[in-house]
Amino acid sequence: MNPATPAPRENQGAPLERVDARLKVTGEARYAADIAVANLAYGVLVTSTVARGAVSELSLEAARATPGVLDIVSYDDVRELRKPTFGMGSYTSLGPLHERRIFHDGQIMALVVAETYQAAEEAAASVTARYAQEPASAELDSPGTEELDAAGKVAMLKKDPASGDFEQAYQAAPVRIDAEYRTPTQTHNPIELFSTTAVWSDGQLTVYEPTQSVYGFRSEIAKQLNLDLAQVRVVSPYVGGSFGSKGPLTPRTAIVALAARRLGRPVRCVVSRAQGFTTQPYRAPTRHHIRLGATRDGTISAFSHEAWELTSRLDNYAVAGTKTTTRLYGYGAVASKVRIVRADRQTPAFMRSPPELPYVFPLETALDELAYALGMDPLDLRLKNDSQREPIEGKPFSSRHLKECYEEGAAAFRWRERNPRPASMREGDWLIGFGCATAVYPTNVAAAAARVRLAADGTVRVQSASHEIGTGIRTVAGQMAAERLGVPLAAVSVEMGDTNLPPAPTSGGSNSTASVCSAVLKACDQVRARLFQAASAAKSGPLAGRDVSRMTLRDGTVLAGDGASQPLQQVLGASGAGAIEEYAEFVPSGAPVDAMQKLYRGQTTMVRSEERPAVSFAFGAEFVEVRIHARTREIRVPRLLGAFAAGRIMNTRTARSQLMGGMIFGMSSALLESTELDPRSARIVNADLQDYLVPVNADTGTVEVIMLSETDTSVNPAGVKGLGELGDVGTNAALANAVFHATGKRLRNLPIRLEDLLGGDSAA
Amino acid sequence: MTHSVAGAGMSRRTFICAAAASTTALPLPAGARAAAARQTAGSSPHGAGLRSVDLRINHQDYALSLDPRTTLLDAIRDHAGLTGTKKGCGHGQCGACTVHVDGQRILACMTFALMNHGREVTTIEGLSEPGGALHPMQQAFIDHDAFQCGYCTPGQIMSAVACVREGHAHSAAQIREYMSGNLCRCAAYPNIVAAVQQAAAPEA
Ligand code: FES
Ligand code: FES
Repeated sequence: MNPATPAPRENQGAPLERVDARLKVTGEARYAADIAVANLAYGVLVTSTVARGAVSELSLEAARATPGVLDIVSYDDVRELRKPTFGMGSYTSLGPLHERRIFHDGQIMALVVAETYQAAEEAAASVTARYAQEPASAELDSPGTEELDAAGKVAMLKKDPASGDFEQAYQAAPVRIDAEYRTPTQTHNPIELFSTTAVWSDGQLTVYEPTQSVYGFRSEIAKQLNLDLAQVRVVSPYVGGSFGSKGPLTPRTAIVALAARRLGRPVRCVVSRAQGFTTQPYRAPTRHHIRLGATRDGTISAFSHEAWELTSRLDNYAVAGTKTTTRLYGYGAVASKVRIVRADRQTPAFMRSPPELPYVFPLETALDELAYALGMDPLDLRLKNDSQREPIEGKPFSSRHLKECYEEGAAAFRWRERNPRPASMREGDWLIGFGCATAVYPTNVAAAAARVRLAADGTVRVQSASHEIGTGIRTVAGQMAAERLGVPLAAVSVEMGDTNLPPAPTSGGSNSTASVCSAVLKACDQVRARLFQAASAAKSGPLAGRDVSRMTLRDGTVLAGDGASQPLQQVLGASGAGAIEEYAEFVPSGAPVDAMQKLYRGQTTMVRSEERPAVSFAFGAEFVEVRIHARTREIRVPRLLGAFAAGRIMNTRTARSQLMGGMIFGMSSALLESTELDPRSARIVNADLQDYLVPVNADTGTVEVIMLSETDTSVNPAGVKGLGELGDVGTNAALANAVFHATGKRLRNLPIRLEDLLGGDSAA
Repeated sequence: MTHSVAGAGMSRRTFICAAAASTTALPLPAGARAAAARQTAGSSPHGAGLRSVDLRINHQDYALSLDPRTTLLDAIRDHAGLTGTKKGCGHGQCGACTVHVDGQRILACMTFALMNHGREVTTIEGLSEPGGALHPMQQAFIDHDAFQCGYCTPGQIMSAVACVREGHAHSAAQIREYMSGNLCRCAAYPNIVAAVQQAAAPEA
């Protein structure tokens, strides 16, 4: 059996091949920087070499004199650009070259444009700058940062969730855990480099750029360049991975567009890997203080989660994962507080599971600590505190099958064969540890539009400006249409990633499948209604006069309630129509009335889990086996297993791949990834793929994905919860818990490296 | 492992790339680029000193006029217009640019185009005919869903074909090792191993 194509369970779609599989294995899939543009000039960015200060002098003479250089855009050249406002559209309020102040390492100071990439690179390297340098405070603990309460100041948190009297409950608890945890700065590093290609034609601007939001980019570009929305088109057909990094616009885009306009020639700027670390956002480092109180039987009576997140001096950004952690179990009293720490860094932004990955880590590690303090199996502790209601407002979960995930996952992993005593399992030189943790991700859904056309030859075209970032959205949107219109997937073409198509939300928050498939479903149903109407209204033919409400469509045939049938091509042929085309807008319940108008203006209004009458989350149970070498302390991860319940699975192949990739992403986040700053200069020292470690094939062992059957049509018409960001949540804690089990050493700061395990323990 | 020519410490990853590919390509030291620039400046219309370079890619001849500092990768993408080969770093750290030169896998960002004059370059576009039957490795990648975003995929497939040809696909562990010069941020790794195993099977 091919593990890539799991047999669908109930409410799961067939593991069909990706519709773009052939394009991707032949090199024909076009990513933004692949698109052929005539007469292209090449741009290279010049970035600051200090993290804080002012640019007193930028010497561009050598660059201008470099053979092949066409233009340099720098300070003084951007008067016609408007400064962005911080938000979903632009990740920063820092203007593209509006001020000579340096707010972070590697800030853009100029763009050099030349006939060739080589000349632009040479010229950019010749630029020198003088700075009035100031000491920079760039880490959570650096002196000189500024700390504020996040609630009410950041978009993600209106009020710190709380319930009951935590202090009293905590003091009364016979068993208590009180500990601090940390997660590091991390950088998305999709393998595709960031790039912008700007092409002007008769006052119309076309931007080719990898993005998770073509409509969002369009409105932000229009704003910054003072253009009408209709003057801007954004095209991003395939995206080479994103993980949040291509959600909001960065200052580069307007600079490149301006350069192209000045030059009267298309300009392409492909950002170097190193500059990608500083000119794009990142995952902020976090610190957490967790307190848990429980009775001796393992009932949690008190939970407090305080957190600190780093942001820039310019913008108040926080992910505020307490919204999830405070609702995860049936705790008694709950307290929480999120603070932001303003530092000399660029503004952070979303990175895969932005709130959950860093916030679930301390909770799920503390639960392991509590389990050991209680002498209880960590899995049983979680089941003991499993609840069908969240504790903050007492709302029910729309569906929650965490227990089932743990049971099925534990059986497959053979969890119960583990000797619970730390440092008790060993094979030769290798210490063995098992750990588990909960994965959780809120179900988000947003307004989306789609156009579906059924042609007389039985082919279907689906159009929606969503984004194929590797999730398989083209495939599942096509699958939804194929299923509703009774045609094979091969007959469906799917167009995405272009503002000339009907708008779709930002591909973030794991909302795309739910939102886009719901819109496609609606458009297909409108097509069906018109087709059935045509069949019934025909003067003659097998379906003439039949009841449309009892018609169905299967395998290219329209069927009436009494079994009469007519091939759909005949129905269309008889009606004289060349095709039936329908446009549909899906607006989820709970969305503002103007959600669709906002979407056309580039704003995604997500209906979030906690805003619903029943909160909705996807859940999973993750299990990790680590092997740690007794002498060298090398850490290997031979086995990852996750059991997930995430509503309807559209395609078990693409879903499994996303969950599998997610778990490896989570492992990497726990074991490898950290963007390191030199404490003296506040500059990034590992801005490349050699020193910023991401897993290679040899770092990966077996990864098993179990997808439980779950039906929850309350979340959205498609019944989809979204799983692109579920698999990577909890892996970090499961791994840290496994390391404790293997060695007896409790590690609370990520990433866990072998040097953290050297000396000082008795495990070996 | 000691130091590479550029003076940068060699990581386990670049070491694996180099070992796996048996490549002779060296990193391009900044000094060499500047020297090349000095030598050639001022001799062409825009002064970048273009040189004609004949490349043979996928059995086709390309007469290109290039800045001598142009890497094979940039020549393939920007000048020959074959954009299947990807750039993920330009420093030999990701494997996205993997192509075959005279049948051996190399990192196209780590060699100047003009060093490949007279050699046979094969890119992802040369593995199968447009619209025709796929190479067994391409088919195996589809069968095992060995990609998500697809950006690393051309490089993975070129490496995988070479990995089998080199005789380095006898076990899952060996495949993992010899495929570790190609990063996949979507982490399709277990599926990539399964795909290579399938494609290698008849020869194993
Ligand atoms: S682009 Fe050549 S190795 Fe990354
Ligand atoms: S498929 Fe996305 S990087 Fe490999």
